[in-house]
Amino acid sequence: MNSKMIKRHAKITIFMHWFNTFCWFFLLATGLGLIRNDDLQLTGGWWSNLMVSLFGSAETLLLVHEIVGLVWAGAFMVFLVFGFRKYVLPFLRQIFTYSPSRDLKWLIKKNIQMTLGYKWLKRLGFTPDIPEQGFYNVGQKLFAVVSVLGGIVIVVTGLIMFLSNILIDNTAIVQWAILIHFVTVGLVIGGLLIHIYMAAISPDERPAFFSMFTGTVPEDYAEHHHKLWYDEVKTAERKAHSA
Amino acid sequence: MMKKQLAMVIDSSSCIDCKACMTACKVENQVSAGNWRNWIKVQDADFAQSGRPEGADSMHFQPGNCMHCDNPTCVQACPTSATYKDEKDGTVKVNENLCIGCGSCIPACPYGARYRRPDKKIVDKCDFCEHRRQRGDLPACVTTCPTKARTFGDLNDPDSDVARLLKRNKTMRVINPESDTRPNIYYMSMTAPLNWPVKAEIPTPIQLWKFVNPLVWGFVGLNALGVLAMLGKQLLVKDEPPVSVHEEKKEDAHE
Repeated sequence: MNSKMIKRHAKITIFMHWFNTFCWFFLLATGLGLIRNDDLQLTGGWWSNLMVSLFGSAETLLLVHEIVGLVWAGAFMVFLVFGFRKYVLPFLRQIFTYSPSRDLKWLIKKNIQMTLGYKWLKRLGFTPDIPEQGFYNVGQKLFAVVSVLGGIVIVVTGLIMFLSNILIDNTAIVQWAILIHFVTVGLVIGGLLIHIYMAAISPDERPAFFSMFTGTVPEDYAEHHHKLWYDEVKTAERKAHSA
Repeated sequence: MMKKQLAMVIDSSSCIDCKACMTACKVENQVSAGNWRNWIKVQDADFAQSGRPEGADSMHFQPGNCMHCDNPTCVQACPTSATYKDEKDGTVKVNENLCIGCGSCIPACPYGARYRRPDKKIVDKCDFCEHRRQRGDLPACVTTCPTKARTFGDLNDPDSDVARLLKRNKTMRVINPESDTRPNIYYMSMTAPLNWPVKAEIPTPIQLWKFVNPLVWGFVGLNALGVLAMLGKQLLVKDEPPVSVHEEKKEDAHE
C-alpha cells in the first residue's frame, strides 16, 4: 500500500466542517423541541418535554436556538466574505460542476455496489468499474448542493422568524417561513444520514473521514476514489518539479 | 374536585353601552392605540323587519372579550404553544417570550379577540387581568361596570357567583355554528347580536404542516432505509471488488 499522503482539506475547512456539525445537531435537537403544538409535532411531545426540561424552560430553549442559529449563520457569513476566493468559490465550482453521463453512471453503479455488491452489479449487466470522480464524487456534490441551498433557505426563513417580532408586519410571510424552515431541515437531514454513513461508518471512505481531522488522504485512496482530482494534483506536482 | 375554570356570566340586558369596561381594560392593561382587549357588540333596532327574532325590535348591547374557550382554535393554530390553555385556572394565555409574532392565532379566533401589538409585534389579548387576580382583585372590566353586567369567577366552584348564576338562570353562549370553540363566557337568557363570530381560520401553512409531517418522515425514513441497506450489506455480505480496470493499467505501467 502506498502511504504517501496528499493534502485534501485546509485547517479552516476542517474547523468549519465540525463547527457546522455541532451547530446542525444542536439546532436540530432544540428546533424539534420548539414545535410544542401537539398537532404539529414530528416526534411526539416527549422530545419537546425533554428539551424543555434540559434547558429549564421553553423560552430559554427558543433563545438558545436563536443565538446558536445566528452564530452559525454569522460564522458562515464571515467565512463567505474572507474566504470567498480561496475556499468558497473553488468549493462552489466543484459542487456545481457535473458531467452528466459519467456522474449518472456513478450514481447508479455506486448505489448498486453499496447496497447489493459487485456481484449484483455484474448480474445487472454493469461492468465493475466505477466512473472516475473529481475532488468530490457526485454523491458528495449533491449533498453539498442540498446543504448549501438548504442552508441558505434555513438561514433566510430563520431570520424571518427571528425578525418577525422586530420588524416584520406581514404575518403571512412569517407563517410560511416556519413551514419552509421545517421542511428544508427535513430534506437536509435525509441527506445527512447518507453522508454520516458514507463518511463515518462505511469502511470504503474511512480515509476521507480521517482527512476531516488530519487534512490529508493517502495517495492510493485519492487515486482510487477521486482519480480526476488525483491526476490534477500529480500534473501540478510534475509542473512544479519541472519549473 | 374539578379543575378551576375561570369564566364570566354576562347579563347583557343590563349593559348600557357606556364603554367603561373598554376604557378600564385599555388603561389597566396599557392596550396599544387602535386595539381593544374587550368590546361591546351592538344590535341595532330593526322595526321594519317582519317576523323578527325576539328582542330585535330594541337595541341590545353585548359586552365580551376573550372567551377562554375549552376548545381553543387559537391554541391549535400556535406552532410554538406560546398560546396555551392554562390547566391551573382554565384561561387561555399567551407566553410573551415564546410568541414569535407569526399571527397564526389571530384568524383562528372566531371572536377577533386577538391582535398583534404594534410595539412588540407579538400577540396580545384578554387574560382576565391576571396581575389583578394575583393580588385578589377582579378583572378591571368587572370591577368598573356600573350596572354589574359582568360576573366573574370559577365555573367549577359551586359556591362562586358564576356557578350560582348558571344554575339559576337560562344561559347561552355566542358561537359560530361552524366553529364551536366551547367558550367560557355565558350570556344570561337572551342576548344579541348573535351573527358576528366568524369561522375560525387556521392559516394555510399551519394546516399544511399536518400533511407535511408524514412526508418529512417518509423522506428521512427512505434515506434511513438506504443507510440500513448499505450497513446490512457491509456487515453481512463479503464483497471484494474484482481486479479493477485501472489497477490493471497500473500494472501495465510498472512493466
